[in-house]
Amino acid sequence: MIGLSIPLARKMLAVVLLLAGTGTTTLAADSSNDALPEPGPARKVTIPVAQDKTLPNGLRIVVANRAVTPLVSVALFLRSGAEVDPPKLAGLSDLTAGLLDKGTAKRSAPQIAEAADALGGSLGGGAGFDNSQVSITVTTPKLGAALDLLADVVRHATFAQEEIDRERKQMLDNLRLALSQPGSVARFVAARAVYGDGAYGHSAGGTPASLPRIRRADIVKLHEAYFRPDNAVLVFAGDIDLDHAAQAAKQSFGDWKAPAAPLPQAPAGQGKSSLASTTLAIDIPGTGQAAVSAVHRGIAREAKDYYAGVVADAVLGGSYSARLNEEIRIKRGLSYGAGSSLETRRQAGSFGGSAQTKNSSAVEVVGLLLGEFDQLGTTPPPADELSARKATLSGNFGFTLETTRGLLGEVAGLAVYGLPLDELAHYLDKVQAVSAEQVRDFARANLGKDGRSIIVAGDAQQFAAALGKAYPAMERLSAAALDLDSPTLKPTSKK
Amino acid sequence: MLRRLLICLGLGAMVLASAHASDVLSIPPIAFKQRTLGNGLQVIGIEDHTSPTVAVQVWYHVGSKDDPAGRSGFAHLFEHLMFKSTKRLKAEQFDRLTEDVGGHNNASTNDDFTNYFEAVPSNHLQRLLWAEAERMANLNVIDENFKSERAVVEEELRQRVLASPYGRLFNAVPKDAYLVHPYKRPGIGSIEELEAASLEDVIAFHSTFYRPDYATLIVSGDFDPAQLDRWVDAYFGPLPKPATPIPHVTAVEPAWDKDRRYSEHGSNVPLPAVVLAWLSPPARDADDVALSVAAALLSNGDSSRLHQALVYRQQIAQRVNFSSDGQADNGLITSFAILASGHKPEEAEQAILAEVKTLATTPIAAAELDKIKTKIVTQALAGRETAEGKAFAVGSAVLLKGDAGTVNSDLVALQAVTADDVQRVLKKYVLDAHRVTIDYTQQADKSGDAPAKGAAK
Repeated sequence: MIGLSIPLARKMLAVVLLLAGTGTTTLAADSSNDALPEPGPARKVTIPVAQDKTLPNGLRIVVANRAVTPLVSVALFLRSGAEVDPPKLAGLSDLTAGLLDKGTAKRSAPQIAEAADALGGSLGGGAGFDNSQVSITVTTPKLGAALDLLADVVRHATFAQEEIDRERKQMLDNLRLALSQPGSVARFVAARAVYGDGAYGHSAGGTPASLPRIRRADIVKLHEAYFRPDNAVLVFAGDIDLDHAAQAAKQSFGDWKAPAAPLPQAPAGQGKSSLASTTLAIDIPGTGQAAVSAVHRGIAREAKDYYAGVVADAVLGGSYSARLNEEIRIKRGLSYGAGSSLETRRQAGSFGGSAQTKNSSAVEVVGLLLGEFDQLGTTPPPADELSARKATLSGNFGFTLETTRGLLGEVAGLAVYGLPLDELAHYLDKVQAVSAEQVRDFARANLGKDGRSIIVAGDAQQFAAALGKAYPAMERLSAAALDLDSPTLKPTSKK
Repeated sequence: MLRRLLICLGLGAMVLASAHASDVLSIPPIAFKQRTLGNGLQVIGIEDHTSPTVAVQVWYHVGSKDDPAGRSGFAHLFEHLMFKSTKRLKAEQFDRLTEDVGGHNNASTNDDFTNYFEAVPSNHLQRLLWAEAERMANLNVIDENFKSERAVVEEELRQRVLASPYGRLFNAVPKDAYLVHPYKRPGIGSIEELEAASLEDVIAFHSTFYRPDYATLIVSGDFDPAQLDRWVDAYFGPLPKPATPIPHVTAVEPAWDKDRRYSEHGSNVPLPAVVLAWLSPPARDADDVALSVAAALLSNGDSSRLHQALVYRQQIAQRVNFSSDGQADNGLITSFAILASGHKPEEAEQAILAEVKTLATTPIAAAELDKIKTKIVTQALAGRETAEGKAFAVGSAVLLKGDAGTVNSDLVALQAVTADDVQRVLKKYVLDAHRVTIDYTQQADKSGDAPAKGAAK
């Protein structure tokens, strides 16, 4: 977020997780001031229960009650998102979702904004991969009115040309900002490197070339095809129970009808990648740091070894104390923060690590990332380290459930993928059940050399020569010339 | 930049209920108890057994404004070092005591204060209290850790300032705006001044400022109050109150006597930006609450005036913001816009000024005032959902307003803010005051200054 009020923090605020190190502390039995006291007996965490109900029109309602604060978060999720963007129309799903609150048959865009603010919330719509959503958080007494507003924008958006042009221009400007920053440039490139020409490889926020191609008819067509009750989940979290939620949902969405046409088949998310097993230096002249990442194909959300992946990610780089940050930041001072990322989508996923470092350290950081990948795939993590990382995962899970928006996110993550809602109650056990050998095996299978792509985006004159020497298959590209619509990132020969 | 500590605290002033009885939403006040130990340590407890977790925070009343001469960035560098070794704790042992048992920790440095905060399963409270007392009394950083952490801070500087399109602008705002107050020095510092810092500086800073009579301990969540008192007495009670005086910043920023304009540049600025700045009253001033309402009317939410005018109707800005940063001394009221492509800073500047003038001089509908109060109260509630959120709200009230009770009384005060109040403060602090304007554009030579400075090591 750009703002004037960025705190200087010890840790990057984006990285919320934690863990590594020996986990050993000297414990003393008494309360003498000389020694660290022992922990007391632990109190059990209470996990909210999520319940659901399906309306006759096919709309599924999911409710997670936590009546601590008089707040409710509600979101309408579609089980489809940017992966359904037609090949030349990257950004269509995101643009469509972003336009929902920009005018309906009853209300203009300013009137919708006014109404949402007057309820104390704000409507935000957008599409990621596998989902599109629009959500609002309000105090409990405002829920009925908020749901009416939500239903109006989801069902009756008008997609006026003037609003399309305005939204498109804003998306293009957002892209310009993203393309000037090493971290986001590296992420654009990583998506192509992993998913290639598959639907997950393109830019969900569109590209400078694709956005101008999108016409109103494309938006209307996408809205008609996918915004339907049998492709949607209405998720509530906070101070609300299932009966009240279902009743309110019936009022606002009960007469929403699914079209006769079947839901279109989703395109393949994973494609062929010509950038797998390559090393890419992406030049952003003059930028003060390099974004370094190394990525691999991973697993889908429903994979059997999902929890092994979650724990492997926690050990490798899911937190401040995890291995990547330990090696790159804590031991060597090479970055403000290094971490790993396990991406698990409906059809496919990715696993890798990243850090930002001064341009001249980029090659050293690549080596450290790869070294930790290899180590984790070779040797099972020691028991104390593993239990510490699991504690971190479990603790974070508990803290996430303490806010309505956090709770909503966890529940929606299950609902969108059609996973059992009681997974919420089993999360802690499933994390605990992962063994050190399973972590090693997961790392061996998903962090190996085969197909690995190394990406460094920064001021290439300061690192490209050394990078090419260390990784001879290196290719150098200019960020300004990247063609995000092309699976190779280079303009295709014919226009 | 680097003004307020936490975004969730920014609106420390909140409303209890909207004006119409039908809309009334009661927000229970945050119930806290406070006492002061014999050595001067202020202790605040906020009991909340909703979850089996507890937040522990130590807020030191020293911040970037206290950076030693020639050592800009030092208070922040020092904050990082508080996670290194002490007499009885190894480096990074705070992570063992928090992350390894299902908790988390972090710290941040503001102009006026530095806060260290953890949240852990509540059966670990005693350990955290022991450890916070330990690093207040017995920090023992070794040279190797000092150097590696300084390198981390230099990377933080590169990431925030040099590799972020608007980082140089945010860094320049206080430098350009303030005439004399030490707020003018960037909290993140410079590579040169960070490099000049030594281990001796660390020791001197700790003994000067890290002391019980210059700190506020806040514990929020699942604890037994009597037990908390015993543990606090046992671990913090014996710490001596140093006899040495605490140096205080005494500089007072004079009222600006003319408008000033600056041009700043970055090496990767895809869209130009502009910042307008005025001096705000200190956070404890009664006008702070009305100013926060004025700022919210201008830029909190999609229906806010600046968003509607610049982003929606005129489409000259990609984003726009207006905020009033209440600080211990005179802070800044700032408005910031990133231009939409094809537009120039002057366009946003004129549009912002026009909207501020309209708000300050033409009638404000009651419904609009109600809307913004509902919005603010809802955001306040969301910020106070957790024990940790409550602790931040109270800490901010103590450090910026000098009174924990303002965490609740500001809600009442905000409730009472009228359209006349909004217009009066806008005229006083903005329309009738002098301003600093900063234009931010791409520098002509794209090669940048970053490599020469940033990659020397």
